[in-house]
Amino acid sequence: MEQLGLERRGRRLAAGPSWHAVSTSGRSAARKTSGISPIIWWFLAIPLALEAWWVFYPALESFYLSLTSWSGAGSPRYVGLRNYQLLLQDPIFWTALRNTGLWTLTFGGFSFVFGLLVARLLNRPRRGVTFFRIAFFLPMVLSLTVTGVFWQVIYQPGSPMYSLLALTGSARGAGSGILANPQLALWGVLVAALWREIGYIMVFYLAGFNGLDPALEEAAQVDGAGAWRRFWSIVMPQLREVHSIVFAILVIDSLRTFDIVWAMTQGGPFNSSQLLSTYMYQEAFTALKLGYSSAIAVIIFVLAIGFIITYLVRTYRTGVEDGARAH
Amino acid sequence: MSTTKLTRRGFLSGTVILGSSALLAACSVDNSGGSARAKSSLQIQSYQSDANPKAAMTALAKGYKGSDVVVNSIPNAAFLSQVSSYLSNSNPPDVLTWFSGTVAAGFAKQGLLGDLSPLWTGSGACARYSPAMRQLSTAADGKQILVPMNYYGWGIFYLKSKFAEWGVEPPTTWSEFMALCKKLKGKGVIPLIEGTGSATPWVAAGWFDYLDLRINGAEFHLDLLHGKHSFDSPEVYDVLQHYASLVPYMDPAGASFSWQQAVTPLLQGKAAMSLIGSSFISGVTPASQIDDLDFFVVPTIDESVPFAEEAPTDGFIMSARGGRRKEVQKFLNYAAGPEAQLKYILDAKSAWLPAGPGVDTSKLSRLAKKQLKILTEAKQLTQFFNRDSSGALLDTADAALNHLISDPSDIRGIMKSWQQAAQQVWNS
Repeated sequence: MEQLGLERRGRRLAAGPSWHAVSTSGRSAARKTSGISPIIWWFLAIPLALEAWWVFYPALESFYLSLTSWSGAGSPRYVGLRNYQLLLQDPIFWTALRNTGLWTLTFGGFSFVFGLLVARLLNRPRRGVTFFRIAFFLPMVLSLTVTGVFWQVIYQPGSPMYSLLALTGSARGAGSGILANPQLALWGVLVAALWREIGYIMVFYLAGFNGLDPALEEAAQVDGAGAWRRFWSIVMPQLREVHSIVFAILVIDSLRTFDIVWAMTQGGPFNSSQLLSTYMYQEAFTALKLGYSSAIAVIIFVLAIGFIITYLVRTYRTGVEDGARAH
Repeated sequence: MSTTKLTRRGFLSGTVILGSSALLAACSVDNSGGSARAKSSLQIQSYQSDANPKAAMTALAKGYKGSDVVVNSIPNAAFLSQVSSYLSNSNPPDVLTWFSGTVAAGFAKQGLLGDLSPLWTGSGACARYSPAMRQLSTAADGKQILVPMNYYGWGIFYLKSKFAEWGVEPPTTWSEFMALCKKLKGKGVIPLIEGTGSATPWVAAGWFDYLDLRINGAEFHLDLLHGKHSFDSPEVYDVLQHYASLVPYMDPAGASFSWQQAVTPLLQGKAAMSLIGSSFISGVTPASQIDDLDFFVVPTIDESVPFAEEAPTDGFIMSARGGRRKEVQKFLNYAAGPEAQLKYILDAKSAWLPAGPGVDTSKLSRLAKKQLKILTEAKQLTQFFNRDSSGALLDTADAALNHLISDPSDIRGIMKSWQQAAQQVWNS
């Protein structure tokens, strides 16, 4: 009994999901009939119903469709696991899978590193720091598609950027433009995506830095810790919650990336910048193979759910440990 | 311990119950059934989104005195991917713009297209169309499902004034064409530009189609596109070798341009020639330069192969599920008539050719008249790569041909992977 009480309070102390917040203690909850007024249930139920019909139902239908062959017209034809067999033999699928992994690592990794770096640099109130903060965040105002189109023009032969690159001498790559070079296309898209995302991550860390206790850093400085040591051992551990949020956002955003790749390369010069999401879209709406693309969608789902479950498990476990330690 | 508060277990089990009920609903995924709804006007779903063709379509709709006709213009790429959902809808548009070819035949096989045979008999507007047009509009079961409005050809376009400036003439044989390219390159001019960038990669298939028609003939080309030959065959190797010989003369920047962007260097005199559909380039050429624009057919490679040309044909289809068949047929009867067809083509200010006979061809543009002469003399007409096969196969061609353009050294490897990708399309 006491153990469970501890657990409940521990979960409450953690930054976990808030459905435990309504419980105060065993006795007072027994006195109220349901602790939650009906209005709250309605506010939750209506969006849930809409979400279930417009988002969950089609998503679940995708699982069924992945077992069929369907061109969009007429009825789907059941084919069992054939789509998955074909996927395993499909070289474009493997390229897309590899690219998605690469993309998640580089887009996620660089966004994190540069976002943190920029936030650190712009943290102190110096002259002009507001201007730079705005300048870094402003690209977020543009939609991904607009960003893609805009950067596509920058990369085209004939633009100043292209002339600059030609000066540095990458002859074959510069000749047809970065986005037309199979080795460089994905990295070109990465630069455009990072240009936009860094401001977003910067904002998270600026907020995180605001919540830090300056006394700790000052104490470390007095003790003679250097700048890097202070950053790594004092500042970073305090930002643990921000890290986990940023990690979740970056992983989900990486797996969801579609607009910017599609706007810039449509999967790239002969499938070299194909991601799972763009390949899925192409198979669904250009090749009209909805069963096959549903199989790809299921694979994306499995990858995403793997990350998310890991994240949720870590949060719960850390939350319970924190709560237990607080006692 | 109270159980009235929501525990994590309770939440998860609630979600599972909701989810499984949704899963049961997933068992019924069927697009059958549809009833006509009362509407006051006929709806045309059109993929003509460029300025002049769009205006021509609107004028065509306005010119119909029978009933109110409303035109919905959708950008081409979105239309192509959504067309099967338009046709499968229980509330479909009455008329859609579409083209002849394998995809239309596929829709007809699935029963999505309305029967337009009444227009092809008796006093119907299409009754006196040529046998070639009739064959292009007929489905496998012998019923007509398309009303062709216009077709166009492809050609290697150039500016007459620039050719005069460089002192060169349009070639008639392949060796003359290669010599021309070499001479132009020596003068510092880019001989050939093709906008094969990721926005319009299908432009690369134009050269493939024509080289295949010139080297192997139309029969082989159509059989290849229908899966009867392998892309890893000696005939295709021949085609790709000729293609590879063109690559040194192609502008490398073309791989970053859409076809619309690739026309600019041609019009500025920086590039000499481009193989493109006549309706595309004439649509974007400014009025000041349209008289300077001319074209020649892809030169003969093998004298023994019968002369064939590409002539993609556009027209109207009717959805099977819309309710107002008689009214639609009356409208299409008007649209396919000689006066309406001519007005439609002239309004579009492009090099389209009328699909029907009896249209006054004297009013057509100079380029259109030249094209008409060539296409009527052709022994066989094919459509374009994707119209003769499918979007999925065109994707494989885009990948293979753009790979060839960027690196023409490994033709055999490209053929092998192309056949692999095509096999996937045939297997599905």
